[in-house]
Parts: sequence; C-alpha cells; structure tokens
Amino acid sequence: MTDATHPSVAETRAARRVTLRHIADSAFLIIVIYLVMAVVYVAVQPSALSAYSIESLFNNSLPLMLAAAGATFVILQGGFDLSVAGTISLVNVVIATTPMEGPGGALALLALAVALGMAVGAINGIIVAYLRIQAIAATLATMIICQGIALLILKAPGGMVSDFMVYELTASLTDRVPYALVIAALGVVFWTIYSRTDAGRNLLAVGQDRKAAALSGINVQRTEFFSFVWAGAFYALAAYMLAAQTSTGNPSAGEPFLLLTFAAVALGGTAFGGGRGGVTASLFGAATLMLMQKVLFAMGVSSFYTGVIQGMIMITAVLFSAAVHHAASNRRGA
Amino acid sequence: MGQLLAVQDLAKRYGATVALGGVTMGIRAGEVHAILGENGAGKSTLVKILSGVVQPNDGTMLLDGAPHTPASIFAARGAGVSTAFQELSLIPHLSVAENLLLPKVSRGRFWPERRASIMQRAAAILAEWEITDIAPDAMIEDLPLAQRQRIEITRALSHATRLLVLDEPTAALPDTSWLFRQIRRLTERGVAVMYISHRLSEVREICQRATILRNGASIETVDLAGVDDAGIFAMMVGHAPAAPRSETETATGDILLETRDLHVGAIKGLNLTLRAGEIVGVAALEGQGQQDLFQALGGVRKRASGDIIVGGRSAPLGTPGKAQRTAPGIAFVPEERKADGIFDNLTAATNIVMADFASRSTGAFVNARLERNRAAKSAERVALSPRYLGFEVGNLSGGNQQKVLLARALMTGAKILILFDPARGVDVGTKQSIYAMMDDFVANGGTILFYSSELTELVQLSTRCVVLYNGQVSAEVSRADMTEERLLAAAHGPARTPPTPLREAS
Amino acid sequence: MSDQTAIPLEDTRKAQRISPTVVTVATIYGIVALMIVASRLVSPSFGGLSQLETILYLSSFLVFCAFGQGLVILVRGLDLSIASVITVGGVLSAALMDGSNAGLFYVIPAILLACALIGVVNGIGVTVFNVPPFIMTMAVGIIVYSLCLGFTGGTPRGFPAPVLNDFMGSRFIGIPAPVWLLIAFAAMGTLVQSFSPFGRKLTAVGNNPEAAYVAGLPSRRLTVSVYAISAACAGFTGILLASYANGATLRMGDDYLLPSIAAVVVGGSSILGGKGTFLGTVGGAMLLTTLATILSALGIGQGWKTIMEGAVILLALILLRDTVFDSLRAVLVRKD
Repeated sequence: MTDATHPSVAETRAARRVTLRHIADSAFLIIVIYLVMAVVYVAVQPSALSAYSIESLFNNSLPLMLAAAGATFVILQGGFDLSVAGTISLVNVVIATTPMEGPGGALALLALAVALGMAVGAINGIIVAYLRIQAIAATLATMIICQGIALLILKAPGGMVSDFMVYELTASLTDRVPYALVIAALGVVFWTIYSRTDAGRNLLAVGQDRKAAALSGINVQRTEFFSFVWAGAFYALAAYMLAAQTSTGNPSAGEPFLLLTFAAVALGGTAFGGGRGGVTASLFGAATLMLMQKVLFAMGVSSFYTGVIQGMIMITAVLFSAAVHHAASNRRGA
Repeated sequence: MGQLLAVQDLAKRYGATVALGGVTMGIRAGEVHAILGENGAGKSTLVKILSGVVQPNDGTMLLDGAPHTPASIFAARGAGVSTAFQELSLIPHLSVAENLLLPKVSRGRFWPERRASIMQRAAAILAEWEITDIAPDAMIEDLPLAQRQRIEITRALSHATRLLVLDEPTAALPDTSWLFRQIRRLTERGVAVMYISHRLSEVREICQRATILRNGASIETVDLAGVDDAGIFAMMVGHAPAAPRSETETATGDILLETRDLHVGAIKGLNLTLRAGEIVGVAALEGQGQQDLFQALGGVRKRASGDIIVGGRSAPLGTPGKAQRTAPGIAFVPEERKADGIFDNLTAATNIVMADFASRSTGAFVNARLERNRAAKSAERVALSPRYLGFEVGNLSGGNQQKVLLARALMTGAKILILFDPARGVDVGTKQSIYAMMDDFVANGGTILFYSSELTELVQLSTRCVVLYNGQVSAEVSRADMTEERLLAAAHGPARTPPTPLREAS
Repeated sequence: MSDQTAIPLEDTRKAQRISPTVVTVATIYGIVALMIVASRLVSPSFGGLSQLETILYLSSFLVFCAFGQGLVILVRGLDLSIASVITVGGVLSAALMDGSNAGLFYVIPAILLACALIGVVNGIGVTVFNVPPFIMTMAVGIIVYSLCLGFTGGTPRGFPAPVLNDFMGSRFIGIPAPVWLLIAFAAMGTLVQSFSPFGRKLTAVGNNPEAAYVAGLPSRRLTVSVYAISAACAGFTGILLASYANGATLRMGDDYLLPSIAAVVVGGSSILGGKGTFLGTVGGAMLLTTLATILSALGIGQGWKTIMEGAVILLALILLRDTVFDSLRAVLVRKD
C-alpha cells in the first residue's frame, strides 16, 4: 500500500476530531435524545401516534420552543434575557384585547405582535448594549415593567382570540402535519440560513471572544443589540401561538416561561456564556422538555415528582454537552 | 518624500489616568517605521487610536493629508489602515477563512455565500501572502500559536492599502523571513508600515527610522542607522542604564527545594536544586516549558511524574494554597499580573494581606486600617510607598501592582520564591526596588527561582543560571562565566542548532 | 494591558476621598428616607416612625434571604433555588413543629442544616462539575420544589411552634421583635461581608477567580460555603414566614426570588461579582418595600405598581453605573 491511501495517525485523529466537534456543535445530540424519548413515548403509549395527540403535543410545545429559540440569540452572544416572561405576557394580552377576525386579521395581529416584541427587544438592547448595564439586572427590570403594562391592559385572564387563530392555526396541514410543526420547521430553516450569514456568524464570534471579535472589525454593540431584537420577535411569536392555543389572554401568561425557557436552552446544549449552540438545538431542547412531561405521565410517574426528573435531566444534559465539547476540543495537539 | 501619516499632539486619558500625553510623529510612504519604548510607554494606546479601537481626547492625525479619525476598526480599514494586534484577535472556533474575511465573510447580506466559494476566496488571500502550510478550512483553535500569528498578520496585510500596523508581530514567530518578505512586498507598493517590537536587532534589520516613546509622550524620531543601541536605550528609559550590581557569593546553604526527574507539560525529566541564599535564574526562549515548570512549583499545575522535595520532604503541591503551606513555604508570582495576580477592586493593603487570609487564621474581623498596618512591613520590603496601601489596586501603575504582588508573596512568610518575569513591563525605579528585595530576601536565608525574558536581568541578578531548552536543562551557567552571549547560545539548544519552530515541537 | 501610567498622586487622593461604596449606600438610604417623608403626602398616617417600623418589619424577610443571595452574587454566582428552599423551610417547620413548642431547639437547627445541604449540592454542582450557577440552582430549585410537592401531597400540613408565632408579634423595648432581628442580622451580615477575612476572601474570589486560586485561597470551599449560607438564609426566611403566617404554603417563596436579586442589585452590588455591601442590600430591600407600601396606599392598580417597581430597579441600575461615578469623580477632582 502506498502512503497516499494510508492515512497518517494525525489525519485519522483529525477526522475523529471533526466528527466529535460536529456532534458537540450541532443539534445532533438533542435530536437523538428527542427521538429516543419519542420512541419510548410511543412504546409506553401507543395512542400517541394518533393525529389528535400529535397535533396537541406540538401545539403545547410550540410556544416554549419559540421562546427558547428567542432566548438563544441573546445567550449565544454571551448575554442573558429575563424579559422573556414579561414580553410574552405583554404580547399575549395585546393580542387578546385587539380583536381582528379572519386570516387577514390574524396576519395583522402577527405583524403587531412581532413589532411589539421587537420594540421591547430594542429597549433591552439599548440598555444592555449601549448603556452598558448588566443584562441579567437590566432585563429583570424590563421584565417587571412589561408585566406591569400587561396588567394595565388586562387586569385578569380574559379577552378574546379570534376563531381563525384558535381553530385554524392549531390545526394540521392536510390533516396530517400540524401547523405547529410546520412553524417549528420554518424556525430550523431560518436558523440554518441565518447562522451562515454574517450577522449569525458575528453572534457566535462575539459570544466566543468579545475582545477578539471587536478587534476583527465586528460591531459588538450592534450584534448585542440585534440579538435582543431577534429575541423579542421570537418571544412575540411564542405569545401569539400561546394565545391561539389557550384562546384567551392572561397578564401572567409569561411567568411559567421564565425558568422553562432557560431549561430548554440548556437542554439543547447551548452554552451559557455564549459562543456555542444554536436555535435548532433550543427548539429541540424545548420540545424534549415538553415531551418528557408526557412520557413521565404516561409511565405513571406521579406528577408531583416530574420536577425531580426534569431537574436531573437538565443538569445531566449540561454536564454531558460540556463533556462532549471538552472531548472534541481536547483532541487538538494531543 | 511626503508624509503619509502625520500625528500631532495625540493624547488619550482614561479618567484621571493618562495613557498617551502628546505624541507627535510622521511616517513616510513606503517606510517601515519602528515605535520603541518600554512597556507602559503608550505604544499599545497609539496602536489602538490609529486602528479605531479607541478615540483620542486631543490631537490630530492626518493620513495622506486628510484627517484620520476612525470610529471603528472597520472605518480604519476603510481608510486603508489595518492592524495585526499583539493579543491576537482571532475567533478560536471559526475557520481560518472566516477569520480572514471577518466581519464580512459572506458576500450576500441576507443570503449566505456557499462555503466552497468562501474557502476559495480565502485560499486566494493565503496564496497571495505566500502561506502554503495552513488550510483555509482549518479551525483557529487547532493551530499552533505561530500559525495563528501568521493568520493575524495575513489578515492585516490583506487590508493594508496605506498603513500596516504590526504590534509585536514576531512574539510567537520563530522565523522572521516570511514576515519581512511580505513587508518588503508591501512597501514596494508605497504602503507604510508601523513596526512595534521589543527586539532591537529585528527593528534594525527591517526599519529605517524609529520614534521613541516614554511615559506616553514621543521623545524623538531617529534614523536607526545613525544611533547605537545604548543611545536608543537611554532615550527609552530617560537616563543611562543602572550600573551592574556587586558580585554575590556562591551559596552553600541548605537545600530548600529539589526536583527529581520532574515531568510536567513540556518539561521532561528536570532535576533542579535550590539552596538557601541563592537566586537561580532560568533562561529560555519562548515555549521551552518554563511556564510549566514555574506553575508546577507554584502548585498551579499538577506534575505528571517525578518528585518535588520541599524542605527535605516530598511535597505533592496540589494547589497554590498547599504549596504555601509546605514547611519552608513556596510563594508564586505568576506571569499574568492582571489575569492571575491582582484583585483590582480591592485595596493594595487587602491584596497584600490576602496571603494571610489564605494561609492562617487572622482573627475574626478586619478593617481598612488594620489591613494597612499589617501590610505595611511587607510593603516596605518592596519599597511600596505606604500612601498607596489604601488605593484600589486597579488604579495603581503596573509597577506598583507588581510590588503589591511581591509584597503578598513575602507576606506568606515563604522561604522559597518562584517568580515568573517579576520585573517585566515595569519602570526602571521599580525594577531596582524588585532587585533589591530579591537580594535582601536571599540574604535572609530564602531562595529564589526566577525566569526573565531579559538576559541582562538574568546576568545581573542570578547567582547561577539554568538554561532550558525543549523541556530539559541544556546548560547550567555559574556566576563566574555568566554572559548574555553564553546564555543565549545555550538557550538555542545544546548543539547550537537553530531553534525548533514551535509548530513542530507541539 | 499595563499600558496606563500611574495616576498623579494628588488626583488619586482627592478621588479616593469620595468612595463609591459610601456614596452608593448613602444615596440608597437617602432615597428611602426621602420616600418615607414624602409619603406623608399620600396619607397623613405615613411618614412617621411607625411607618418606618412597618417597612423594617416587612422588609426583614427579604433582607434575610437577600443576604445569602448577595454573597452568592459576590462570588459571581446566582441562586435561583431560594424560592424553593424558603418553601422547604416553611413546610418543614410546619410539619416538624406541628403546633408544639417541644423540640424547637433541635428542629430549627435541623431545618437550617437540611437547607444548607441543599446549598452544598448547588455549590458542588457549580464548583466541582462546572455547571453554570443559573442552571444548577434552577434545576435544584425545581427538584426541591417537586420533592416538597410530593412530601406534602400538594397541601402542607401542620403549624409552626406557637412561640415563634408569638415572637413575630411581640415587641421588645417598644420595637417589634423581627425588627430587632433585622438590626442584629444587618450588623452581623455587614461584619461578615465587609469586615471579616471571610468576606474579603469572597470579594477576592468574585473579583478575580484565577488570581484567588493562585493566591492560595480555597476557592471551591469558599464558593460551596456561600451557597450553603444562601440556602440556610432562605430556610431561615421560610421558618419566619411560616411563623408569621402561622402555616406554610407551597408558593410562599415565589415572591422572594426576583426581589432578592433586585435588592442586591439596587443596593449597589455588581451582578458580575466582586463588589457589594450588605448595608447596600438592606437599603435596597427597604427601598423596594417602601415603594410597594406607598404604591399600595396610593390605591393605584397592580399594573402601575409593577411598572413602578421595574422602573425603580432600572433607574437604580442606570444611576449606580460605574461611569456615573467616574464622571462624578472627574468633575469633583477638577473642581478641587
């Protein structure tokens, strides 16, 4: 055999390193976890495959998936955004108190919702990126303010969500594929493209090394700012789908999202501190979190104790993803 | 020939701190112009202003006769000024290609360019600047430091249409021939180069003129051909270099620290003995394992195998805390003063007595005055003025910060000091205080192992000198026959072969 | 980069006279005092010492748990488990004391110890396994809450010892007992955080973890102990809350998680760690409580109340920025 057909030790090592790194960097792991869990679910509960139960599973999961997708933008650049709870509450009540019927109305509401979400995001972005206030503290404040505004708009749960949103958006395409799944898939497509544009690449670069990114000519402040704006847009989408799914408005609709969103992002393997991970991973992280509840319920675990397992899985997921990443980057120059 | 860049009275202040206080200089088109000065003289600030990272408070810059006021790196590049930074500005987890093209990697704004096409464009840049051994799709984090430095330089080269700024470009380069070839190609097109380096021989080889900075101000611009090294040095420090110190006797004290067949990081089987009363210098080129050795002895890094014997007993030295608590005690002063040394929010006094807090019980409560009193004695030994004790360390000069670190090391009561480049980047006065402290320390029964990047310092201070090459001791030089030339020769390896490039060693 | 020449001595001296810490703390208490006095406009019964007493009483719960939160934030952490741990403290004291005074003196330490152990788990996750504090404490919080849920079957039973309930309502030299407790706690906390080697070491770890390690500080042990203290403080808050309300509920801790962070931040600590005083945190807690009582008295809706709370946090953040102090210093130095 000649040398050309016989890869050197270094080359094999390089090849393995690439594979490991791809696994560490992509949404691969969480997708596998999700599929395994789905198989378990179907095994425990065969009725899970019915069109109705698939539809309801995705309808239930979508708001959290979108919220986690939004939070990922901020976390990737090394920031933090607690305003997710407030933004969702605010957008949710705005939708429920702005009656607009039909597909046209739904579209107008969507535009309104996204504009509102982006406005909140822009405020966060200004405070954090330009006024240089620590993200956790600043978004804690804006979250509280948004919740207050939501209470001003709607004192108690109520309001109206148009029939079109409630019935059509939560249905399935040709009665087979839930629209919720289509929207999630669009999210994946969006991120696949966005992460390859300069804006997406800059997001990851800033998260990896702020100083180096700045010295490379990246406008770090603008990158930070837009991460909050994108986040706001996705929170608004989450609120929009939440309104469609619950068919009412609730001034505290966003509260359950606060911790779950970060749990989903962590489960997806996006590093807190930035630079590693992605929106696709978070979408699957959130879906896994929601599916897990169903699986635990189907397996007969008392609902009291689902939290124990959720918490354990979160910690394990973070440890596991860190370990894989460590293994991937440790191969270099060994 | 006309000026390409004209800088007039440039000044930069951070709050009350003056980083640059009046720099006036000019660079001609097609010239390689050196900036010389001690650490802290303002070189990096000048670089940052030229490249748009920070904006000056005062002064003007003219580029080709037009005002040069870049608001960002990007704007500076637009004006034809690009910079290769000393602290490399590459993103570790992106490919070489992406790093070369940042911040506009993709041609389309909203739709990504194909990866293959990006790689192709990057490959063209690499080929243009004669880089053949780095693939455009390699990850930065997989590359050895020398290759990263070349990528950093190549990125700057590819954007430099008027002025190229190189800040310590050879810090990690084993060989300057590639760089100098590219610089010459660039200057032939009329592009000017600002070249910042500590290595005077390099500067003499490639540069025509030099501007000397001291304490943030430009002292003079000279033709390098018309001035000798001593003259340049005098301009840099402001006075003639200090006279050599008196001879120290050879030490015959007790063995305080010993390593037997020590393996750690790049260190391969090191035997070393430190006796009371001696200052042992370590000389080495970059990357010969000196960091690993010092970190292992300081307890920061765990050894792979071999023995470290402290005060006659084998000591595992698991952590810096454990190293301090060994019988005669080991105190370690790390290389990175800012990152691994000081607590910039805390006062100098607290920084110093932290050693006490770490090692022994110190009573239930403390306050600022108590701490000042307790720190005063150690501060005196390093000639740190007591009036600085109440200040936050972050507000002190680099020299005083270093004194604080040394005072903390003394405060531990350790008899063994492990000092990594203790006098780097500090002013001459501080250097003298540090030297005096070291002499005083060994005269009182202590022992010091210190590394220095300056051979002069090693020759001046060491009672004997250990030369590391490729993780092993290549020579041990006694006080009697210690000269810079002898150390330098040994540092280049036992057989006087040229140094192995870093990338091959790793 | 060490590229900065020393500040001229004169400037440093003058700048040093105005310590940002002192200014921050003084400003916070100034604002609290101003608010209390101004609240006379809202209601004639306000603005006096009795209102101060009420505010101190109400803020005491927040102060107790914010002490632990402050220490955790000081070492660059965050404790999101305190809501659940408060619930643990409350639920356990109701269940274990079960309306009797017997055994009080070992039940309380036992509860505090149990809570501290939860904190140890947090600390070990953060230090040994390098799990981000946000995730670790959130996950542990979820787990602990879920265990509480299972343990109580959804409805906590029992009552805390009557002595404790009496204590919460009692007065000592004319001042409510919990206020005395608050004062003692504030004094102790300040000593620990700002005037003890322990506090100095924590500040060092938060200011520069790498340097702390090189300086020989036992960073891990310090960090674990801080999480343990935080959890114990939360447990203590839970016991007092249960005693105050004479019973426990599963959601009793929820109202303290975000305010505990807010109090620390409004009190001038850096959420990035390495900087902060407990007196500032106490002031922050009082500020938030005062604001809440005034807004309630104004009779405005929950919405405006919430907005105002958020706005105050935001305002404090903007005003307490370092840059504001730097420019203040610069102005004062120039005037001299």
